[in-house]
Amino acid sequence: MPSFFKNQKSKNKLQPQADQTNNEQTVSSLKNLLSENLTLIKEKTGNSSDIVIRHFKISVNNSLAAAIVYIEGIVDNQAIQDYLLQSLMKDNQKNDLNDQNALELISEDIVTMGNVSFADNWNDLLSSLMSGDSLLIVDGINRVLSVSTQGGEKRAIAESTTQMVVRGPKGAFTESIGTNLAMVRRIIKTPDLWLESMKIGRVTKTDVTLMYIHGIANDKVVKEIRKRLKNIDIDSILESGYVEQLIEDQTVTPFPTIYNTERPDVVAGNLLEGRIAIFVDGTPFVLIAPALFIQFFQSAEDYYARFDIATSIRLLRVFMFMISLIAPAMYVAVTTFHQEMVPTTLIVALAAQRESVPFPAFVEAFFMEVTFEILREAGIRLPKAIGSAVSIVGALVIGQAAVQAGIVSPAMVIIVSITAIASFATPSFDMAISARLIRFLFILGAATFGFYGIILILLMGVGHLCSLRSFGVPYMTPLAPFIPVSNEDTLLRLPWWTMRRRPKLISDNKVRQSKHQKPEPPSSRGMINQEMEEDDQNET
Amino acid sequence: MEKAKISATQLFILMVLFELGSALLVPLAMGAKQDAWLAILIGMLCSFFFFLIYHKLYSYYPDLLPTEYMQKILGKVLGTLLAFIYIVYFLYDASRVLRDFGEMLLTFAYPDTPLFIANALLMLVIIYITRKGIEAIARSGELLFIFMYFLAIAGFILIISSGLIDFKNLQPVLKEGILPVAKVALTETLYFPFTEAIVFTMLLPYLSNPKKANVTMLCATGLSGINLIITMIINISVLGVDLTTRSQFPLLSTVQTIQVADFLERLDVFFMFAMVIGIYFKVSILFYASIISTATLFKIKSPSRLAYPLGIIVLFLSITIASNFQEHLYEGLHVARLLLHMPLFAVVPILLLLIAFFKNRKRQQRQ
Amino acid sequence: MIKMKRKSLFLLVMTIMMVLLTSCWSKKELTDLSFVSAMGIDKTKDGRYELTFQIINPGNVAGLQGGGGTQSPPVTIYSASGDNLVEASRRASARISRRLYYAHTNLVVIGEKLAREEGINILIDSIDRDPEFRITTSLVIANQSSAADLVKALTPVDKIPANKIMKTLEFTQRKWGENLKVSFQEVMRSLESPGGEALVSGFRLVGNPQQAEKLDNLQQSAPEATLRASGIAVFKNGKLIDWLYNSPARGSVWILDKIQGTDINVDWKGKKEALAYQTVRQKTDVSIKVIKGKPYASVHTRVEGDLGEVEVPVDTRQPAVIKKMEKAAGKEIKKELQTAIKQAQTDKVDIFGFGEALERTRPNQWEKLKSEWDDVYFPKLDVDVTVEAYIRRTGLRNKSFLSSVKEKQH
Repeated sequence: MPSFFKNQKSKNKLQPQADQTNNEQTVSSLKNLLSENLTLIKEKTGNSSDIVIRHFKISVNNSLAAAIVYIEGIVDNQAIQDYLLQSLMKDNQKNDLNDQNALELISEDIVTMGNVSFADNWNDLLSSLMSGDSLLIVDGINRVLSVSTQGGEKRAIAESTTQMVVRGPKGAFTESIGTNLAMVRRIIKTPDLWLESMKIGRVTKTDVTLMYIHGIANDKVVKEIRKRLKNIDIDSILESGYVEQLIEDQTVTPFPTIYNTERPDVVAGNLLEGRIAIFVDGTPFVLIAPALFIQFFQSAEDYYARFDIATSIRLLRVFMFMISLIAPAMYVAVTTFHQEMVPTTLIVALAAQRESVPFPAFVEAFFMEVTFEILREAGIRLPKAIGSAVSIVGALVIGQAAVQAGIVSPAMVIIVSITAIASFATPSFDMAISARLIRFLFILGAATFGFYGIILILLMGVGHLCSLRSFGVPYMTPLAPFIPVSNEDTLLRLPWWTMRRRPKLISDNKVRQSKHQKPEPPSSRGMINQEMEEDDQNET
Repeated sequence: MEKAKISATQLFILMVLFELGSALLVPLAMGAKQDAWLAILIGMLCSFFFFLIYHKLYSYYPDLLPTEYMQKILGKVLGTLLAFIYIVYFLYDASRVLRDFGEMLLTFAYPDTPLFIANALLMLVIIYITRKGIEAIARSGELLFIFMYFLAIAGFILIISSGLIDFKNLQPVLKEGILPVAKVALTETLYFPFTEAIVFTMLLPYLSNPKKANVTMLCATGLSGINLIITMIINISVLGVDLTTRSQFPLLSTVQTIQVADFLERLDVFFMFAMVIGIYFKVSILFYASIISTATLFKIKSPSRLAYPLGIIVLFLSITIASNFQEHLYEGLHVARLLLHMPLFAVVPILLLLIAFFKNRKRQQRQ
Repeated sequence: MIKMKRKSLFLLVMTIMMVLLTSCWSKKELTDLSFVSAMGIDKTKDGRYELTFQIINPGNVAGLQGGGGTQSPPVTIYSASGDNLVEASRRASARISRRLYYAHTNLVVIGEKLAREEGINILIDSIDRDPEFRITTSLVIANQSSAADLVKALTPVDKIPANKIMKTLEFTQRKWGENLKVSFQEVMRSLESPGGEALVSGFRLVGNPQQAEKLDNLQQSAPEATLRASGIAVFKNGKLIDWLYNSPARGSVWILDKIQGTDINVDWKGKKEALAYQTVRQKTDVSIKVIKGKPYASVHTRVEGDLGEVEVPVDTRQPAVIKKMEKAAGKEIKKELQTAIKQAQTDKVDIFGFGEALERTRPNQWEKLKSEWDDVYFPKLDVDVTVEAYIRRTGLRNKSFLSSVKEKQH
């Protein structure tokens, strides 16, 4: 990746000059003649086979030649047929079009499509052509009309595959940015939901949209994000990950400072807390900034379930995260340095197991962890049918065989399995990946210095976490700096009627709900119909 | 000074962690035998007086570091000299605490490891976090404070459920009268650990809400004092006076006697965990104070560049200040007290306050 | 640019250090340790100390797929001698393939001869100072045998003999009360007291020591050589002077407030030992006061328990009967406590802590009496024993079986 940037910087110096000369040449050279324009288009696109050029004649007596250019596959063919061609070819009797007013009249009177705009230079023309617009070129005019006819095959809205919930909306984002924006609009129906679009990526010209709720989101952060997005000068944005890595606060950290999700309800929830969402066309993963450490342990379901179960599960998740970080390290530390900690019977059992194993505990732990990572990575790419079988078979059989062959001890296998299971409990994939890496660091620390090594690395980790900021907000808010008011939604999740304020430091607009939200039903007796018959024995 | 702000809560937490840091480790006030807890109590109450002095100095110059206002009060030459002495003292104290910690680690957990390595590792982590600035230190403090208290409470509960506490060991109270206790209090516990917190006057300018400075400092001293008293009471009641006096690390010996339910035994590693956290913060703060004052004294623009050189100085100092642990303890109890603690913590601030008082009076009269 | 270079240089230095560190110093692999579960200390004829180590054989204890439990014993014994404990422990390295690891040593056995002749004060320091050795270790005196014999014995039921000794002591203290489980810390504390008095439990090897070491000793249902808890050793000035058995032993444990449950046999209406009173809990307080230079001590105990066995026909449903039984039980207990006190006074050992109680409450008086406490004041001490016994329940039945038999056959 770093070398990638270096190339970019040197390329940068070359490209703008070439662009400029191009521009100067071509601004004026949108030709008047239809055929010339068409030839130039064909030249620029290298005569690509999916470009469709449809000639027809318009105006009274079919005197004016015109053509529609579009790229098959990314346009809505039906719309072109029904609205564009129909209205142009069939319903144009009433107007007298000539090469002066043709485009204006057509755009104002004839074309019945929604989104139309004019393009008078090659950049705009080509970019709208590539986005799925249809270009209407009329002979004799050096401007074109670009009509938005975007369509084509898109993936249907399906269930989320990476962030599943039991209770809650199941739909997930798709690759088309329009669909994604619409999904969020459907949830948040306020006009304060503002969108800003831009195209990033010199070659891919990917649509990137900024979305926030005006009045709740922090204006300074919005400005900062906008600035950073505009500063991106790269040739391609293939996924939101590119954007994330180009605008994040600090790259030299294993911890993510920008959250991503493919669920619209999560995006909506974060927008309502004052955060900003960044949509990137071509990927269902939407970025949310600023992100805090504690967010990566929260899942959408926490908010739909009741507060007691939500709190316990959240605490469980943090606990599992800690286990997945330090379990193998603790095993190594305890069996190599601090054998006194373990009760005598257990240590004797462990010693018996280790009699037959040739490697020291550290090598064993390292080896098992690496094997597990290999299995995990392989498991992602296996075809679905074989996938689950092989991973179970792989884990069990290989583990069992290794134990029997005397390469690892059974206790190690147990520890590694527990670690693996615990690492899946983290809802956010990015955080889980970080944990995977850091775990090796802990094992190394434990192998060299036992418990002291683990503590040192923990201190370094804590120090590092506490020094991170995500778009100006300290990463560990609200645990450190400790803001008691905002702590109702971190490790605990207090009932909804207590969470009256939005998280401080993210949003200034404090009040989320008014007082008196605590449910106070009238006493149960009063709600039951008291009409009883005379011989009704059961008094409720 | 860097552009950072810490809140009153963060200051409070840092002070508590600082004072508990190495005080939990060494036998405190054992000259008073079974009345050690009384000595700590008296020491704590007397230190309040000194904290008020420090706070008054702060209130005269709320935006300046002590090394800066020393120059204002005493003039350039004398002030710089005094500031330099304080800087050297902070470095020395940091190396002392580091040495204490290294010795403890080597005594019970890693006997074969060289002292240099144990100290160097901790120093590396401390350098790392000091370079990130006071905000990182403060925030880590908030997180780790909870850990440490959790360990403390768990330990407390375990000791009680082991049935080890025997309050009879605290008797007879005041066997030889209050005088020996007061002597120990005024000569030992007043300085270590309570007024060692003079280093926090270096951090007061960072406070976002200056009005809370006084309350925070006093509350923090109070809380840590109460913690130390409880710890000493537990130590003496579990181990007995003689064993506590003979132990190099009384709290460690107490923790070693925990035996609950047949499997919760030999939990000294948790003691080590709590100690590492406490000492980490103590050394970090002393180290940070020395860096920031050096930076302002010598007008260095980015203080974090000083971290490595000064860190190596502290590391080497910690190895060379004493050739064995006994000499180190002797130095701390007998030499450092008279030469360093009394003048630097007590005499100099009082002098400074008097001079500042008169200077400000004159200024007010002029106005 | 220069910053980058310097940063990477530092990183390089740190990584090199890391590599060097992998030859880590304090690492102890599990397979390099031999867990000492018990240690015996004896004196040899030429005045040196002989240490006997009971080392656990992990493969034979854990009972894993190895399954070799019956072939070789679960523990192995090694011994070594030296002029002091540290030297002997280090010399043992010549015989053992691993490093002796003391963190799990739960038992130290001291031979009777050593305890009588030299006393145990000298042995304490090395164990106290070592960070690996725990001061929560239990201490036991080998009664009429050498520590080595005791440590070498194999036991049925408990694979590790040290466990058997410890658990036996613990349970018998709880159930019968004639023995006491003391940790090193407690022994240290009592030896530091003015008279250097301490109580330590004793264990005896019943049977042939040679037989006890063999594995086929365990092959019989009733092994020929067994270990049993026997007596409490009394120390004065760190030396063993006497053994307590039966009544004095139990009484002493009682006064020390360490007894938990035991059985008191109460005489009833002429029949000896007719009732079995099972105590459940008790609380004993010792206090002392000085009147006109003469000390007066008092022991007050409050016992609660149930009736375990009633061998006479008596109707226990009457509260008056219960009250009489309580009084009778109280008398028995008082007798026992007084026997214990008399025994201690004869031995001139203040094991009950009267002197310490005086020091705690009236330090000035203590200063005056301190020097002659053991020899003069304590043996003549007037001790007032008061017992409050309560019988709370009588098990599942009320009237005794014999009483209904008596009724039926009348």
